[in-house]
Amino acid sequence: MNTVLQTKGLCKTYIVNKRQNNVLKNIDLTIGEGEMVAVMGPSGSGKSTLLYCVSGMDRVTSGEVTFNGKDTTKLREKELAKLRLDEMGFIFQQMYMMKNLSVLDNIILPAVKSKKNSESRRQTEERGRALMHRLGIDDVGGNDINEVSGGQLQRACIARSMINSPKMIFADEPTGALNRASSDEVMNELLSLNRDGTTVMCVTHDPKVAAKCSRVLYLVDGKIVGEKEMGSFDGGDKELRDRERTLNNWLMEQGW
Amino acid sequence: MFLRILKKDLKRKRTMNAILLVFVILCSMFAAASVNNIAAVTGGIEHYFNISDMPDVLVDMDADSDEDKNIAKLGGIREIKTIDQIYIYSSKYFKLHGKKLDNFINPAVLISDEDMPINYFDSDNEVIKSVKKGRFYATTTFIQGLDIKEGDEVVLTIDDFSYKLEYAGLFKGAYIQNGTTCLPFLLINSEDFDNINDGIVNPFPSYKSMFIKTDDPQAILDYAEETDGVYAYGRDYEKMIYLFDMMIAYIMMAVSIVIMLAAFVVLRFSIGFTIQEEYREIGVMKALGLSNVSIRSLYIVKYLAIAVIGAAVGFFCSLPLSSIMLGTVSKNMVLGTENGVVLGVVSSVCVVAVIMLFCYLCTRKVKKLSPIDAVRSGQTGERFKKRSLLSLGRSKLPSTGFLALNDVLSAPKQFLIITTVFTLCMLMMTIMATSAQTLKSPKLMRLFNAPESDITILDSEYMTDLLAVQGGYKTSFEKVEKVLDELGIDGECGGGFSVQSVFTHGDKTSTRIFSTAVRGNIDYELQCDEGSAPQKPDEIAMTSYAMKELDAQIGDTVKAEIGEKEYEFIITGRFSSFMGQGYSAFVSEDFDMSSALAAGITGIQVKLSGDPDEEEINEVIEKLKDKMESDKVYKTEEAVSMLTQVSDPMNAIKKLNMILTVIITALIIMLMERSFISKEKNEIALMKAVGIKSGSIILQHALRFIIVAVIACVIGSAVVLPISSALLSWVSSMIGDVHGIDVDYSAAEIFALCPAILLAVTVIGSLITAQHMRRITASDTASIE
Repeated sequence: MNTVLQTKGLCKTYIVNKRQNNVLKNIDLTIGEGEMVAVMGPSGSGKSTLLYCVSGMDRVTSGEVTFNGKDTTKLREKELAKLRLDEMGFIFQQMYMMKNLSVLDNIILPAVKSKKNSESRRQTEERGRALMHRLGIDDVGGNDINEVSGGQLQRACIARSMINSPKMIFADEPTGALNRASSDEVMNELLSLNRDGTTVMCVTHDPKVAAKCSRVLYLVDGKIVGEKEMGSFDGGDKELRDRERTLNNWLMEQGW
Repeated sequence: MFLRILKKDLKRKRTMNAILLVFVILCSMFAAASVNNIAAVTGGIEHYFNISDMPDVLVDMDADSDEDKNIAKLGGIREIKTIDQIYIYSSKYFKLHGKKLDNFINPAVLISDEDMPINYFDSDNEVIKSVKKGRFYATTTFIQGLDIKEGDEVVLTIDDFSYKLEYAGLFKGAYIQNGTTCLPFLLINSEDFDNINDGIVNPFPSYKSMFIKTDDPQAILDYAEETDGVYAYGRDYEKMIYLFDMMIAYIMMAVSIVIMLAAFVVLRFSIGFTIQEEYREIGVMKALGLSNVSIRSLYIVKYLAIAVIGAAVGFFCSLPLSSIMLGTVSKNMVLGTENGVVLGVVSSVCVVAVIMLFCYLCTRKVKKLSPIDAVRSGQTGERFKKRSLLSLGRSKLPSTGFLALNDVLSAPKQFLIITTVFTLCMLMMTIMATSAQTLKSPKLMRLFNAPESDITILDSEYMTDLLAVQGGYKTSFEKVEKVLDELGIDGECGGGFSVQSVFTHGDKTSTRIFSTAVRGNIDYELQCDEGSAPQKPDEIAMTSYAMKELDAQIGDTVKAEIGEKEYEFIITGRFSSFMGQGYSAFVSEDFDMSSALAAGITGIQVKLSGDPDEEEINEVIEKLKDKMESDKVYKTEEAVSMLTQVSDPMNAIKKLNMILTVIITALIIMLMERSFISKEKNEIALMKAVGIKSGSIILQHALRFIIVAVIACVIGSAVVLPISSALLSWVSSMIGDVHGIDVDYSAAEIFALCPAILLAVTVIGSLITAQHMRRITASDTASIE
């Protein structure tokens, strides 16, 4: 299995009111191609910071981050932006989208901005529609973002993260703002993507979400204190319940 | 608690509050200065007349006329002061530093310090009691363009007579008008006056003036109307001297209003933005039970603080501005100082009051917000509005351009406000440019009843015959034609002039109407607004002012006394004219003017053959200057600028407006862009997170302003000509009786330079301000509310 993301001695420190706050401490992490990794831990443990640092959205204080063979800590802002645009996809808890654009335009915006995309605007739009169809939201393409439900919007965010066929999708609590039904729908889409070969790194508080991942990392005070191999999930309800039970037991051991 | 919230708010929105403060300062500064200016000029005229001890009526007549004795017998007269004046018909009779003067056009008037009819003032505004022997005071018209200082010797030489006088400084008199086309006055010692009067053999006419204080001014005005060679002017007529000062004061007031509008727009935006941004706080306050009044007063207190500070600073800044604005006026008159400060304070207080009222109205939105807004991001389901108007997939625009245009179309109200301010800024520049250009256009010569020409000669030596000898226009034109022949210049010579006349229609008689004519070899056809131009000797065209004065209409027959002869004319048409302040009648080409003595002229015009370019005209001007030994040979447009007098001040205001446009546009862009960045922090962070480069987002933000600036340029360019036309009609109606003036403009200036200034400020301002978004990083998505 090829490595997509690797960190060595990753540290992140914030200075707040002249006080040093070490959020991430010497994180060594490797994520292989096709993996679906969940990052869990108590509030303030550094889960989101880890996601932002490895995805190049935030600068690390020290250490190395290698994404798809490139040391992102040595890349300039423009190069990082290009990397995020072409090779990464992002899903956020708050379902951020551009207010002045329709759902479909929000989805295709990264493709239109990407220089690697050589297709016409019309073809990109068709591709956006196809993604929406796949995610079951093809009837809301022309709607404004405030005219659709939270679940539809998060699926639109997934579609946007997929539009440039990224190597890896980073999801920061993708189901945090959704009800159970919508949460299940969104996770099923992520699983489906993962099965198609896209690597996923997902920060979550929800064991039900993490149970669908192939590996779970547990962070406490900026350190990975535990790691649980879960194996791939085939989608059955019984298996999910078993995985959830196993994961919960493990989490209890970690002090969850 | 209010103070703590206020302090926090002022600190948190530093840039926005600072810009708002700058606008209030500008607002208060210009309001106070321009109100002071208008008050100083309007109220100042009466004040000046009072301290000058101006008479109720001023009467002019020939020096050897006996009519003064008859006037003295009229009822109601309390006091009469009569002065003799010596007219020196060319500046060339004066020498300074051994060089002949060439700086004024009209005859210089020498007046004596003996029994001065009114109080004259020196440059320190002190009343001049007497003039030392051998010294003289002069009006600004006399010293314009001269390198002269007190103690310099000026020599008056006419033929064999020579007289030396030492310059004692400037003086001003309430009835003396100053300007390029006005008569320069010299106040000299009575002994010097007698010596000069006895010594020179002045071949030209001189006049005497009566300064009359009376309880019945109308009786004198009526007598003058009925008497040939007697011209009387009441106090109201004399106040017209300060017309141009008034006009400039009103234009400055208009500029102030535009700045105030811009300030209100900024205020409206700031309040709207703050309330929109603080929906959560407002919702929570409402949930806690605070009343609307309490919440609104929070905002009003903040803006009151800014308004009070801004108005106070603005008032103090208005003092130097006011003195600059009144600088030109104070050269012409003695202004009272007692009301200026009070008016400035009142204006600044008014600015605060209007701003507070405006604030109160703008905070109405607080009432609409409910506690539920705190949890629904300021939106209720019912008030969601369609935002996206364009489709990225179907658009052919580059993505950055698309996003910018879509943003503009998605928030039309917000960008409409910016467009309005930009358009106003653009118009402030272009209208003044067009007005200044029009008021110096050679085409305007027709409104001075002069033929269209390339060159205008204003040298008094060549115009003396025209002004001083009956039918002297022939001699004047012949002199110029001779010069043209000698220099081998292929061109024609001609000119228009007006003659003082007495017109009668029925029981109405007027001495106010001037008979005008164009003579010479240049083709001239009078353009009539109604009816037709006079073709026969017994036909005449009149301005509407003249017809109204006589209660006459086209087709009526009027009687006129011109050059001591009586004529009857049929009115054939109505025309526009600046001549005689609009009181003009135009006689036909065949009418015999050989016995007429011109009272006013617009120089001698030269029309060159062919279609000479500017370089060729300049060459001819240089040749004429050499040959005539005079600098007073001008391109016709320069001459028009001198005649209208307002072109140069308008040019100065245009430059001020350009500076103001740069400041206002830059401030608005800074304010708006900083607000947009603050408001759109989430979106910017998101765009950065998904990999859109900072440069692209900065360009998107800059493009929004550029789109708005382009729209403003288009609207500004579309409306500049109709608005200029309306403004110029107003200005023209003050100078004369002119309807439907042809707007002249430099296309390069109003359609290229002015838009370029606006666009350049927009591009630079928005790009620089948008750099602020570099502080927002992709990781800020984690801290978005």
